[in-house]
Amino acid sequence: MAGEPQKGVVPRPRADEERYAPREDVHLPRGADPSEVESGELVRRARLGDGAAWGLLVDRHAPLLWAIARSCGLDDADCGDVVQTAWLRLVERIDTIQDPQAVPHWLAVTARREAVALARRRGREAPADPLCFTDVIGGRPRSPMVGGGDLGVRRPACSPEEAALAREQVGRVGEALRALPRRCQDLLRMLALATSYNELAAALDLPVGSIGSARARCLAHLRRRLAT
Amino acid sequence: MNEEPFLDELRAAFQRMDPVPDDVLAAGRSALSWREPSADLAELTDESERELAGVRGSSGLRLLTFRAPGHTVEVEISGVGSELAMTGRLAPATVADVRLRHPHAVELSARADERGRFVLTDVPKGLVSLVFCLPDASCVVTSWILL
Repeated sequence: MAGEPQKGVVPRPRADEERYAPREDVHLPRGADPSEVESGELVRRARLGDGAAWGLLVDRHAPLLWAIARSCGLDDADCGDVVQTAWLRLVERIDTIQDPQAVPHWLAVTARREAVALARRRGREAPADPLCFTDVIGGRPRSPMVGGGDLGVRRPACSPEEAALAREQVGRVGEALRALPRRCQDLLRMLALATSYNELAAALDLPVGSIGSARARCLAHLRRRLAT
Repeated sequence: MNEEPFLDELRAAFQRMDPVPDDVLAAGRSALSWREPSADLAELTDESERELAGVRGSSGLRLLTFRAPGHTVEVEISGVGSELAMTGRLAPATVADVRLRHPHAVELSARADERGRFVLTDVPKGLVSLVFCLPDASCVVTSWILL
């Protein structure tokens, strides 16, 4: 099996990943109950066999992992597989984890890496699709071109009535979000879900230092949209 | 400026537009039952793909290398469609019982020969992990991979 030129080697943790991790992580404010048990403690309890603690950990972090997979243009089935890969990879090392506090960041890195690798494989399987980032949120193409324009998730075309209903369902903020560039949608979604800048940087695969300006730009973008 | 109410609104908007499906959450909650605390974990250290000459699309081979302290597992994944074959080698060479774990399929098993070679056929797509039980009663488990 050896001796062949290797293509597409899966990226391993890089030595320079240190630079993405600030020494003292800044925790983002959350709307949740301040008395909630922090994730590192949930990992410790799950290791002792506490299934409820594990369930809380899954419910808390699954939305960000799902958003990471989505940001790579994957469909529902592939997003589900990416999220489950992250959980199973955590379970297989749960007994040897040295730093349970670092688990949220590790989950984001793992999901991101798996999603990128899967999107690349999918791209090879369907080489006609040149784009990775498409308008998956809302599941509908922005252009009237149905079938050809929606490369991420294939769903049937919708009637004006259905479109109006969908607008009502996603609300004012949802409407404004959909009008933003894809990268801003991803950033704002992950900003709202991540529990620390460190985790957010991993989810977006950006250095921590460049998040502040991107975040300000996207928030301003959204506020302008909401003001119109 | 307090952004928290705004972030709450964002979370709610995305939750309405693209929620995590219930079955994905349920699968995550049940993942803890896949622990194998007595087995040594062989981590994925290398992955490469090779297109077969003249064959397009997903018909290439995937070559994976997993490493645990004292053991290496090399696996080649081939085939098309929903049924794949896994051909591999455990090093240092030893006989072993091989089990394929898959969350949604019946467990498959095989025997590694004295050169450490094994073959699993009719492997379904999805998440899989291999467990090797060695003659000294120790076990090695490979990291989960998505086929």
